[in-house]
Amino acid sequence: MATPTTVSLPLPSSRRGLRWRRDRVQRFLLRDATLGYLFLLPALLVILGLVAYPFASAIVMTFQAKTAGAPGRFIGLENYRELFNSEQFLRTVFNTVVYTAVGVGVKFVLGLGMALVLNQERFCNNLFRTFLLIPWAIPTVMSALNWRWIFDDASGLINNVLVRLSLIDEAISWLSNPHLAMFSVIVVVVWQGTPFFTMSFLAGLQAIPKELYEAAEIDGASVLQQFSYITLPRLRPIFITAVMLSAILTSAAIQFVLVLTNGGPADRTMIFSVLAYHLALGGAQRLGMGAAVSLIFFPILVVFIVFLTRRMLREKAGD
Amino acid sequence: MAIRTSTQRRALQGVGNGVLVLMLLWTAIPFYWMIATSLKHDKEIYGYEATLIPQRPTLNNYATVFRETPYMLYLRNSVAVAVGSTVLSMVIAVLGAYAIARLNFPGRALLARGLVFTYLVPTSLLFIPMFALMSVLRLTDSLHGLIIAYLGFDVPFCTWLLMGYFKSVPVELEEAARVDGCNRVSALVRIVLPMSLPALVVVTFFSFTHAWNEFLYAHVFTSTTSARTVTTGLVNFMSQDVFFWGPLMASTVMSALPPVLMFLLFQRWVVKGLTLGGVKG
Repeated sequence: MATPTTVSLPLPSSRRGLRWRRDRVQRFLLRDATLGYLFLLPALLVILGLVAYPFASAIVMTFQAKTAGAPGRFIGLENYRELFNSEQFLRTVFNTVVYTAVGVGVKFVLGLGMALVLNQERFCNNLFRTFLLIPWAIPTVMSALNWRWIFDDASGLINNVLVRLSLIDEAISWLSNPHLAMFSVIVVVVWQGTPFFTMSFLAGLQAIPKELYEAAEIDGASVLQQFSYITLPRLRPIFITAVMLSAILTSAAIQFVLVLTNGGPADRTMIFSVLAYHLALGGAQRLGMGAAVSLIFFPILVVFIVFLTRRMLREKAGD
Repeated sequence: MAIRTSTQRRALQGVGNGVLVLMLLWTAIPFYWMIATSLKHDKEIYGYEATLIPQRPTLNNYATVFRETPYMLYLRNSVAVAVGSTVLSMVIAVLGAYAIARLNFPGRALLARGLVFTYLVPTSLLFIPMFALMSVLRLTDSLHGLIIAYLGFDVPFCTWLLMGYFKSVPVELEEAARVDGCNRVSALVRIVLPMSLPALVVVTFFSFTHAWNEFLYAHVFTSTTSARTVTTGLVNFMSQDVFFWGPLMASTVMSALPPVLMFLLFQRWVVKGLTLGGVKG
């Protein structure tokens, strides 16, 4: 590496000047700040181009009547007004809340149960754990397709078995009965999503020092007391992270409904992502309306996202 | 007292075993049905002769998928998109993560925050403006378009995951290398990357399976067969009347296999990576 002394030389020869300039360029490029921005530039472009820009343009779009490829026409709050006057939208809000709350709730309970069971010592436990996690690794669309076939009216597994056992006389329309459709969709969401909770909670359980339980045992604490005074408080941070992350992803997951019911029957399983999809890409191509549906839900999501961002960065810092 | 807790523990172990059996069944039965259906003749799938266990197993459905559908094309498209987006996001994420973890410059905390934030914004909020953007750029119906679109998810996540890992590589090693004449770039390539192999594996797994499993963008941005990936291709099969459950389940089994195998292979690292970051709820 050249030292700055070259700078003080009066009238450097032309060769020297060239080398001096090259060194300077090299040193400039290898400075932390330059290198930092240079390294981050591609990532920054991705964020700006593929997340920030689309997001900003979504906001603009909600004030427009717009179809794909054509420029939008400004119509003020018309899209929002129409949505709030539409029964379909109000039903969608209700459905999304039910779908997310029940889905996340059941996944949470089952995941915690599974994690506790897997945390016990037994023969071949690792094998069982691996197997129970597989639904998470399967592409969600494949799970949804598989379940659509399981729920099939005429020849699906469930009706098939129920009829064989003479528990029912007529096939049950799991996906087209207005009272059952949401239930059926949530079953699939739970099947696919429980392993995520199991994995997270199991990792949390395994991080609790055994000494705590031994000490509690000596003090005469019952198993239930150990659970509520050691296990639960220790898992609390993971509970919060897992629930929030899952709430964001569950509410936004479009595949299950799109494959299983497409929002029907009579909008009983219509959730916001599917409604946005239908409005924007169904026959009428009302991109502005679709974007408005998505954005109305954003303020709720953003609370979770901001909270999680902080938490995830804090955990990283503590590594 | 000790006796009481040990009886409680034994009872719990019994309950645990029972719950475990139920959970294993709940997980296994859908798999069973998917595989069993793919191995049946139509006669055993529908109607009065329908069976629960394939009586005369056949691979006909698999043959039908390859013979009569563009499944091979979908498979090739999925591989191309998954490999492309994985390689690109890996390079971008390694550079970005190294910058945030090791280099000192104003604004890096803000950038780290921005990365996590964008990772958490779900695609169902973005697919409409992304569709408009892709239409304007004429990137619809193209594999390039999908590769680019997936970076929006992969890059933030991979950067964030690698960032944490890079921080855990001892700075002293890198300093020693720099005393010996390495600059930043060669220190990254020779010291930090080899030491971060587990994280690189996790990142590869995530971006590959993400691209393989992704449905919404692939569905929205493609309207012709030429650029369909496996996920959208299969859903499209379903909307065609001629296509039935036997071949559909056969192609579902085949399409689910690559990510499942990858998961089984890298399980230990993936589980660890997931509990740190977490994707797919």
